[in-house]
Amino acid sequence: MTVQYSPLDYRNDVKPVWCVGCGHFGVLNAVYQALATLQLPPENVALVSGIGCSSRLPGYVRTYGFNALHGRVLPIALGVKLARPETVVIGITGDGDALSIGMGHYPHAARRNIDITLIMMDNGIYGLTKGQVSPTLTEGEITKTTIYGNIDHPIDAVRFALGCQTSLIARSTSLDPKHMAEMIVRGIKHRGFSLVHVLSPCVTFRGREQYNWIREHTEPLPESHNPEDFRSALDAAYREDKLYTGLIYQEERDDYGSRVSALCERSQSKGILTLEELARQFLI
Amino acid sequence: MQVEELVIGMAGKGGDGVVTAGDVLASGAASEGLNCFMLKSFGPQIRGGESSCRIRISTEQITSQGDRIDILVVLSWEDYAKFAAEFVLKDGVVVLCEEKDEYLTKGIPVDERSLSTLYRIPFIQITKEKVGSQLVKNMVLIGILCGLFGFSKEAMVRGIAKKFGRKKETMELNLKGLNAGYEYAVGLKKTDPIEFSYVPSRPNMILDGNEAIAYGALYAGCRFFAGYPITPASEIMEWLSRELPKFDGVMVQAEDEIAAAGMCIGASFAGVKAMTATSGPGLSLMSEMIGLSSMAEIPLVIVDVQRVGPATGIPTKSEQSDLQQALYGTHGDANRVVLAPSDVEDCFDVTVEAFYISEKYQLPVIILSDQFIGHRKESIKMVELMEHNGFTKRFERIHPSIEELKDYKRYRFTEAGVSPMSSPGIKGGQYTAVGIEHDEYGCVVSTADNHESMNKKRFDKCHRIREEFHFIRKYGPEDAPLGVIAWGSSKGAVKEAVLRANEEGIKVSALVPQIIHPLPFKKFEEFFRPLKKAIIVELSYSAQFLKYLRSHFHLPFEQITCKRSGAKALSVEEVLTQIHKAAE
Repeated sequence: MTVQYSPLDYRNDVKPVWCVGCGHFGVLNAVYQALATLQLPPENVALVSGIGCSSRLPGYVRTYGFNALHGRVLPIALGVKLARPETVVIGITGDGDALSIGMGHYPHAARRNIDITLIMMDNGIYGLTKGQVSPTLTEGEITKTTIYGNIDHPIDAVRFALGCQTSLIARSTSLDPKHMAEMIVRGIKHRGFSLVHVLSPCVTFRGREQYNWIREHTEPLPESHNPEDFRSALDAAYREDKLYTGLIYQEERDDYGSRVSALCERSQSKGILTLEELARQFLI
Repeated sequence: MQVEELVIGMAGKGGDGVVTAGDVLASGAASEGLNCFMLKSFGPQIRGGESSCRIRISTEQITSQGDRIDILVVLSWEDYAKFAAEFVLKDGVVVLCEEKDEYLTKGIPVDERSLSTLYRIPFIQITKEKVGSQLVKNMVLIGILCGLFGFSKEAMVRGIAKKFGRKKETMELNLKGLNAGYEYAVGLKKTDPIEFSYVPSRPNMILDGNEAIAYGALYAGCRFFAGYPITPASEIMEWLSRELPKFDGVMVQAEDEIAAAGMCIGASFAGVKAMTATSGPGLSLMSEMIGLSSMAEIPLVIVDVQRVGPATGIPTKSEQSDLQQALYGTHGDANRVVLAPSDVEDCFDVTVEAFYISEKYQLPVIILSDQFIGHRKESIKMVELMEHNGFTKRFERIHPSIEELKDYKRYRFTEAGVSPMSSPGIKGGQYTAVGIEHDEYGCVVSTADNHESMNKKRFDKCHRIREEFHFIRKYGPEDAPLGVIAWGSSKGAVKEAVLRANEEGIKVSALVPQIIHPLPFKKFEEFFRPLKKAIIVELSYSAQFLKYLRSHFHLPFEQITCKRSGAKALSVEEVLTQIHKAAE
């Protein structure tokens, strides 16, 4: 295969608003890399995002993009995918965007198994609003809205995704954009709803030590892990001391788009109508 | 007494089948070329409870439910009591009721002086004995109406076939009921003076407002619908879930209204015409998406079939009180268009127009229908629906030219405020649609000057729309000093009241805009010129429409508000009374 697109071809000249040292730069690079690996023409890709530091990402990529409203990534991405099935649709979201305000949409995107890849950048903090607690933050942590220590129990994105029947779940970190790009490629290639959970530090509100925390608390999945086995995936997700990175779970099942096409075919089994013929149903 | 028009009211328990009887009667009559207008009214229960319907059948064009009931059919007096306020009976009303009703011992709750004839009919007994099933009491009732008042039994057979034709056994049972009723009526001594007579002509279509909106959307090229069930709008989604796939379209029952509107925006961004439909509480949830559609300049059609509010209100009854929400709902200076159908045929026309405007100007268009139009059936001539005066057109979105794609600016400033819109798949047309303030390329810019220019770009569209569209209906003489101004479903009663007043020699005219925002100023000002007084009619306790008009116009005439809460349909007499008072 002759290489047509390099990662640079997906880059535009817009300067990211992210702070120096932000983990999201790693995600951005991984996205460029993944698109180049798959040699996707930029006009056939749509990056849909909500609101938050993470969600500014589509503005920095030379594909189609949609920076929408807080928490609404998935409904909009679903609309794009169903309307134009040939487009590769990637959702870009953060922990607050996806697991707080947008939480209600996640289980439905997953059960429908719409063929989109959701990249969830998780730093446990609301960065764009300058430092409030997020639903994934560990208990006891101090933020601008938890000055006596966080009393809420955190949500684990991967455990939640398993419970929602997400058909592909992977985890990576901003420390390793190459690995992350591989996971994104796996997600895009997968026919169905895929989640790439990315631990992406916020240096401004969590400090540089968040990099160390991630380094200490993550570990690649063992070679022996079978992502097609739900029980092993559960075990991997529920390990207490460390978070595994890599492909945690994958199952093959019909994606929403193909179900929609099949439904259209079924409805047309008795022949194709014109609009004028259809109006006759209002006559006796 | 030969009549060419009848208003029939029916009431019973949920399960008595009065609404089905109404459906059969109306579609049977439409199949004979008669004009029909049918209203349904229910209690809020799922099953059981009470239900009623009211059908006006005429050889002439009709625009409202008619004021007074000529024939009242009561299967249960206890349930009738819940609708008594909605049914104003004519002097000389004919009443048919169930003989075995316990309530009868107390005497019927109808003024005896106004009663011309009372038929006590053993509906239950006839059904049991002649059909062997209790289920088709309502068809016995239709048979009796045919036998007594001269409706064609064959037409009713067509009506039954439309409703039950696919289920052979049910069909047979219903026909048996119809025949049993008919035979009973033939053997009955007719003691009332009503003789309905008409000459059959080409069949009319019969549909309700929700069906007309759904069909209009499909006709306009809508191929994506997402919605969340809500009374009284759900039928739009149900109809489209059946018909859209036949045209390779998609229907998604979303997890909530925010998602529904979001899905539509996504589909529209990707180049497919999209619509959602809801009622007031759902529109509240969709508010943020109205702002997004406006800011990101993405076409979106939202239907609000209004019900009584606020909060859960009265889900099964009508009001015109979502006007302010439609006009102003969402944060910031968000531009939108608000259209209002005034009858079933309008539901079709306005929906086609909504897509036209939304696609051409790339903004949200809200269609303000209501339960009263959404759930009522009207007969329409097939040709009229298909040709509808030629003012509705399909519109295809403007894509960027090859030249424009060399340095594509999605939000380029243009004279009309509309910029060519690219969509995924178009090479070189890549851009990021944004809800955040942006420059011509769609890049984030937070300066005051840019925000001002972009607001101007978005709002300039309204000036164009104001110039281009004049959907307005006018009735009565041009130079009348007394005017009536109304919107939406109030038109039916208003039009009829004005025409009746004209016949009485009162000089009064009426104005009913189908475009509520932006208001076509010139047309309004023309209408205002000869006015000394105007009656502003609406079903809104707080007079939202009057306040809205005042916010736009100086209104140099005396203003009389004819407003009240909804739940009960506006009657011709209510408006006529106001006209009489104002004309004194």
